[in-house]
Amino acid sequence: MLDGIFVGLSTAIMPFNIMMVVVGCFAGTFIGMLPGLGPISAVALMIPITYGLDPSSGIILMAGVYYGAVFGGSTSSILINAPGCSSTVVTSFDGYPIAQRGQAGKALALAAYCSFTGGTVGAIILLFAAPALATVSLSFQSGDYFALMVLGLTAVAAFSGKGQVIKAMIMTVFGLMIATMGTDVMTGVPRFTFGNLDLLDGVSFLLLAMATFALTEVIMSVMKGQHLEKDPEINMAALGSMKLSKEEVKEVAPTVARSSVFGFIIGVLPGAGATIASFLAYGMERNFASAKEKLKFGKGALRGLAAPETANNAASTGSFVPLLTLGIPGSGTTAIMLGALIAAGVQPGPRLFVDNPDVFWSVIISMYFGNLVLLILNLPLIPYISRLLAIPRQILIPLILFFSVTGVYLVSFNTFDIQMMVFITVIALFLKMLDFPMAPMLLGYILGDIMEQNLSRSMVLSDGSLSFLWERPLTLTIMIIAIILLVMPLISKLLGKRNKTAAS
Amino acid sequence: MVITKDHIGGLAFLCLSAAYGYYTGDIPMLPGDEYEPFNAQTLPTVLAFMGGILSIALILNASKNGGERLSLQGYDFAIVIKLLVLVILFGVALEWIGFLLSTILFLVGGYWVLGERRWKTLLIASVPFGLFIWFSLSQLLDIYLAPGRLITMLFGG
Repeated sequence: MLDGIFVGLSTAIMPFNIMMVVVGCFAGTFIGMLPGLGPISAVALMIPITYGLDPSSGIILMAGVYYGAVFGGSTSSILINAPGCSSTVVTSFDGYPIAQRGQAGKALALAAYCSFTGGTVGAIILLFAAPALATVSLSFQSGDYFALMVLGLTAVAAFSGKGQVIKAMIMTVFGLMIATMGTDVMTGVPRFTFGNLDLLDGVSFLLLAMATFALTEVIMSVMKGQHLEKDPEINMAALGSMKLSKEEVKEVAPTVARSSVFGFIIGVLPGAGATIASFLAYGMERNFASAKEKLKFGKGALRGLAAPETANNAASTGSFVPLLTLGIPGSGTTAIMLGALIAAGVQPGPRLFVDNPDVFWSVIISMYFGNLVLLILNLPLIPYISRLLAIPRQILIPLILFFSVTGVYLVSFNTFDIQMMVFITVIALFLKMLDFPMAPMLLGYILGDIMEQNLSRSMVLSDGSLSFLWERPLTLTIMIIAIILLVMPLISKLLGKRNKTAAS
Repeated sequence: MVITKDHIGGLAFLCLSAAYGYYTGDIPMLPGDEYEPFNAQTLPTVLAFMGGILSIALILNASKNGGERLSLQGYDFAIVIKLLVLVILFGVALEWIGFLLSTILFLVGGYWVLGERRWKTLLIASVPFGLFIWFSLSQLLDIYLAPGRLITMLFGG
């Protein structure tokens, strides 16, 4: 492991890679601050840039953007009560009231310290957990892989929120359907190309991610008229001191410790991610508080701000565990990173640890740097970065549109892709209006090819029988977990109904 | 019966799954592949069935639970159509008048659609930016950007 850490360290401290972390954190903070654009959009906008980089530099950049965006989201939550992304919604519960008391500086500093601690604790656990898990997963066979993919896909559906499970599953199937377009990797025959040569390669990952997460998000905000809203004036003079007193540090320290570990564990679960972690950590902290302190929650309690901020960063780090060791993304953002890695010729999964140790370790090491950059550089610069929010939306929106469209065009140099993007955006807008979640589709699309290959291999090996699903204890265990996740919402619904009838 | 968002979504996916299933039959197969346990049609067939079953489940569930109706109020569709048409035109322009000119026109068009009317702002926010991007791509990064057919026709290649 020590060798690995040195490999990672030597890759991560290359001046170029350090620059990538810094640039990523800044770009991420800025994009994350814009209401409506969260880490997924920020990371999606970076894909074309990573195409020209080394896989390790590329993923370092993306990881930087990811942290930056989560941090930027909390900044806008605290300053203007407009969460940049779903994982910082909880931050605004107590962060904004603190800012309204004229202590915005303190709230921002606390958020930054908590993010730093959460991220660092997460990175340390990752340092030990990931290689251990990777060693175990080296014994995986194609059947196990197939079961794992099924687990990843069902987990995303299961965690997608109340009443959304069927929709998330439909979107996963839709993503798998899109993945089947183009030339079949196993036999080489064209599928669903309708005789169109441009479709022979299928829909590219970049195009799909940009259309559904960058273009659609921006157009959706225009559709809702958000570009006409005046940005609330941020009074920088009223930021107040950024210092925390000793008592305050003492008050939040246990919260931060609890939420770091808790957030990391939630982040590791495939599909759960930072949003759920922040909500759960906030709830947990409220339960821990005394009756008197409970009343303070929602009115500017420091603990109420510290818990979600720590948990969402720890969870962001935690979501790298399944990505790096099993090749299954823990969230929409890591799904995009998975796609970018595959496009760069790196296959995340158990072999990554052996085949590309530089990628594996440098990501982990650069996470420390990412957290450090956020704390040392971003925090003092927040007043300046948030000035960028003063750029009028009429100017900003066409620029983001331009970057997402040219990002796709400059990779393929095919204008058909631009038309395809518009087509997909229209479909995505329609689906978003009907409340269909987009992340499961992207996940289905990314895992589709690998899943089909592993299924085909296992079926051929077992001579057409599905017995490979229960012959090995490992495969069976994974499949059982997947099934439990799938029927869990159904069972809880039935139990709820029974309780209701019992009560009445 | 109230038509909810789930009804519309379920029906749309049911149609999609049916069409997908129909076109699955059109996938060509290598000789002898139909006897293999897994061929190019296997996964699409499974997906078509899964899509169908899930969409029916969504529709049935929607009637039972009742749900939100699709409301088109509060959405500005005109501006969305304008922006999307602008993106398509940008794609067409890229082929005909080249990267630099189409970028500038796209940005000016975008600002205009979103309500910016001052000529000075329109030009300041587009021309230097377009030049900067074009210069960094073609001169600094050495990426070949085709000059556009119209330009080649007028001034030669």
